[in-house]
Amino acid sequence: MNFLAPWFLLGALAVAGPVVFHLIRRSVRERTAFSSILFLRPVPPRATRRRKLEHILLLLLRCLALVLLAMGFARPFFPKSGASSPPPGPGRQTVILIDTSASMRRAGLWPKALAVAGQYLDKATPGDRAAVLTFDQQVRSVVSFAEWLSWPPDQRAALAKQKLAAVSPRWSGTVLGQALTEAAELFPEDKSGDSSARVVALISDLQEGANLDGLQGHEWPKNVGVQVERIDPAKPGNAGLEIVDASGAASGDERQARVRVTNARDSNRESFALAWDTGDASPAPIYLPPGQTRTFSAPPLPDGVTTGALRLRGDEEDFDNTTWFAVPETERVAVAYFGSESANDPQQLRYYLERAFPETGRRKVEVVSVLSNSILDVGTLNRASLAVVPARLTAEESAALRPWVAGGKTELRVMTNTLMEATDAPLEVSEAAGDYALLGNVDFTHPIFAPFADPRFSDFSRIHFWKHRILKFPANSPVRALAKFDDGSPALAQIPGGKGNILLLASGWNPADSQLALSTKFVPLMQTILDWSGGAAPARAQFQIGEPLPAPASPGDPVHWTKPDGKSVDQAAGAPFTGTDLPGIYSAMAGSRTNRFAVNLPLDESRTAPMSPDDLGRLGVPLQSAPRIPAAATAGTQRILARAELENRQKVWRWLIAGLLGVALVEIWLGGWLARRVANLEVSS
Amino acid sequence: MAPATSSNPTGSARDRGHADPRVLMALRSLELRARVVVEGFWNGLHRSPYHGFSVEFTEYRHYTPGDDTRYLDWRLYARSDRYYLKKFEDETNLRCHLLVDQSRSMDYGSLTYSKAEYVRTLAATLAWFLHAQGDAVGLVTFDERVRDYLPPRHRKGHLRRLMVALERRAEGRTTNVGEPLRRIAELARKRGLIVLASDLLTPLDELERNLGRLTVAGHEVVLMQVLDPNELAFDFHQASLYQDMESRQDVYLDPEKARADYQRRLAEHGRGAEAICQRLGAEFHRVVTDRPLELALADFLRGRSRRNKLIRRRAPARASP
Repeated sequence: MNFLAPWFLLGALAVAGPVVFHLIRRSVRERTAFSSILFLRPVPPRATRRRKLEHILLLLLRCLALVLLAMGFARPFFPKSGASSPPPGPGRQTVILIDTSASMRRAGLWPKALAVAGQYLDKATPGDRAAVLTFDQQVRSVVSFAEWLSWPPDQRAALAKQKLAAVSPRWSGTVLGQALTEAAELFPEDKSGDSSARVVALISDLQEGANLDGLQGHEWPKNVGVQVERIDPAKPGNAGLEIVDASGAASGDERQARVRVTNARDSNRESFALAWDTGDASPAPIYLPPGQTRTFSAPPLPDGVTTGALRLRGDEEDFDNTTWFAVPETERVAVAYFGSESANDPQQLRYYLERAFPETGRRKVEVVSVLSNSILDVGTLNRASLAVVPARLTAEESAALRPWVAGGKTELRVMTNTLMEATDAPLEVSEAAGDYALLGNVDFTHPIFAPFADPRFSDFSRIHFWKHRILKFPANSPVRALAKFDDGSPALAQIPGGKGNILLLASGWNPADSQLALSTKFVPLMQTILDWSGGAAPARAQFQIGEPLPAPASPGDPVHWTKPDGKSVDQAAGAPFTGTDLPGIYSAMAGSRTNRFAVNLPLDESRTAPMSPDDLGRLGVPLQSAPRIPAAATAGTQRILARAELENRQKVWRWLIAGLLGVALVEIWLGGWLARRVANLEVSS
Repeated sequence: MAPATSSNPTGSARDRGHADPRVLMALRSLELRARVVVEGFWNGLHRSPYHGFSVEFTEYRHYTPGDDTRYLDWRLYARSDRYYLKKFEDETNLRCHLLVDQSRSMDYGSLTYSKAEYVRTLAATLAWFLHAQGDAVGLVTFDERVRDYLPPRHRKGHLRRLMVALERRAEGRTTNVGEPLRRIAELARKRGLIVLASDLLTPLDELERNLGRLTVAGHEVVLMQVLDPNELAFDFHQASLYQDMESRQDVYLDPEKARADYQRRLAEHGRGAEAICQRLGAEFHRVVTDRPLELALADFLRGRSRRNKLIRRRAPARASP
């Protein structure tokens, strides 16, 4: 048996205390009444030594308790052959969890990580089982337990390293908490309770920007330990930047990007500069002390440029020194109006239609009359994505509008009178009787009404329709009633027409027909109709790695996505693009329109100052106390660390303390029994 | 002067037919105890060497004109043709005061009874005995001051009152022998017998002066020091705090080591008291509480007898016709 702290054995010398106390006569200060102390002089008894020890068993128990206590503090352990090497023993299961986040792209980190993983793989015995996982924002399996076992035992390490060699750091952030929990759950069920036999070897730079949320409240398996192998860079410090989303900027100048810059806690640099990669703009110097994050105004983007890369100069770690910027595009939308009335007449539809589309930062809507002296302006019509038809069309106009709708556009036909024809399909239109009608049923599952689905906005029942037309469709016509009046007749109906749609509104929004234009529902309803018809631009232009990019609204057209590395992907319309694994400018081309998105690293990935493994311990991660021996450690240090690990694994001191408690209990019982016996003898005598 | 009485084991007392003090103290009535002792004492007498001691002759003196002729000794006149007056102490002239210590130190007892219990019984026995002979008996109980005083009487019911006064528990703490002696010197105008029963565990500074005041006044003084056997032997073996029952002071000692010194100082104290009595012509008895009361009574009477013989021997020499 060896001892980790042998100097505590000197405490065993305290056994001399009980021996001496047992030799000294006990002096009891009892009180005895006597008639007079007139003739008594105080002669205190002298502590006399006994020639013979009494209560030998009690003395032995007390000495044994002291010896056990001293041995417990000395932290004994039993040396084992090969104990100085950290490798797992027979039957040991190891999950090697390697960080592939963008911060591992720093100089020299990835080769170190592969080397450490290789050590674990090399030291696995034929009876061991190993699995290799990589993680960043997602956890990916490189080698599973089953795959490991399927390989010949003498080739397992080589094959695993071969597969690992094909892995390289990605451009993602670090979600460490989720990765640890998934790795721990990878072990098969085991009730042995030996945490040293099931180890998650975490190989990571342990940057403080890692996301540990997955560990909050997670109940860690009891028989799984985590061995942290922190990979430190050759040089500390890092700075990074990200473009703050500029949509809706208060300045109104959407080309003036704001950039958030962070400087790592362990950095030794404070002065940096910001510059666009076009080279035309002069660098803007910035000052940022270590450990701080501040927001700066980027230099103005050169005119005529809608996308660019903003670089941070002055930082040696280059993986996060570039952020891409896409100027939010203002969508110019034209709404074709098939009417010739004045836009200033509040009794007419157009008056309210123009006011339903105020200009915003993301969209500028123009209501354009396509009838000029009863001549149809086809060019203007083709530019529009929504056509509002308030009156009966001529045959020529209908002929021009039909292919336009079939090409993917939307026609909103307002049935202001019974003479209007809707489509080529047979439709009976009649004037409704009665004072007024209310909306009785609205289909909130349709994209037009979906934004109103919330109960706070879903009340359409207060809008009075003084006049409306009853639309009757044949039984088999492909008409979908999006809203119905309280008499059951459709208020808004959708009729597919080729790739586009025709919306029939059974009443007008002019004051003579209804209160629709005066209600709070009118403007949002017109906006949703315009969005649905394909007139909206994406709300954001700045995204982070891993975030899905929203598809441009283009009913019918497939979207052609182009990644920063030039690869292209065709997706169906409306499906978001999820392959954002590279930072850069992504473009989405739908029909004739192209939208660009900037995808960047999350700024937390730039916070590369290492966290303490104790931070994981505070979240309940069962860390194995002895870290893997660094290569630079001396032989003496290695031996000490190995002994400490062995002692920590055996924990013999627990048995000694348990024995001490047992001895103490026996001593208490025996002492009490002896005291009671002496008292009984005194009473009987 | 009677020698001091030493301790006598009760076992041997029982063998001689005396009442065992432990059995005697089990009797509740003090009067009954006294009666048992006195009757046992009388029954044990085969020849009464003490008979008639209470009608006591004192002295002769020459007749001078004016003397009461009733006391002329006509027999002596017939023999010597001279007039002598014969002086007697008549029966009712013996007035006995019993001074009983009831301080808290008297509550000590290593036997089944305390010294106070023993002294009460002893005083009751003397009172019963003297009363039965027609003497007047009075009582003074005291601790640091006089608690009860019953003047000497010989009348019906007096003995009963005396017993009740003896049974009354005292509330005092310390012992002050001088105070009752001073009070008796003031109250007892006629000469009489004064019996002081106490453990005398108090300094003897003023004892000689107060006793001398009584003996000068013609009183016959008997001093009975009552001690527990353990007070003589100090038979303790465990070191502890020994607390004074009167002053409540503690002294921490090892009895094995303190015993010899204690016994030496106690003996010196006893010898001092005895020397005082010798100088003043008083009797001194040391009574140990395990001694049968009959023997204590016999010691008392034996001392009285010796004193009377001495007086008789001195009287003819002093007034030889």
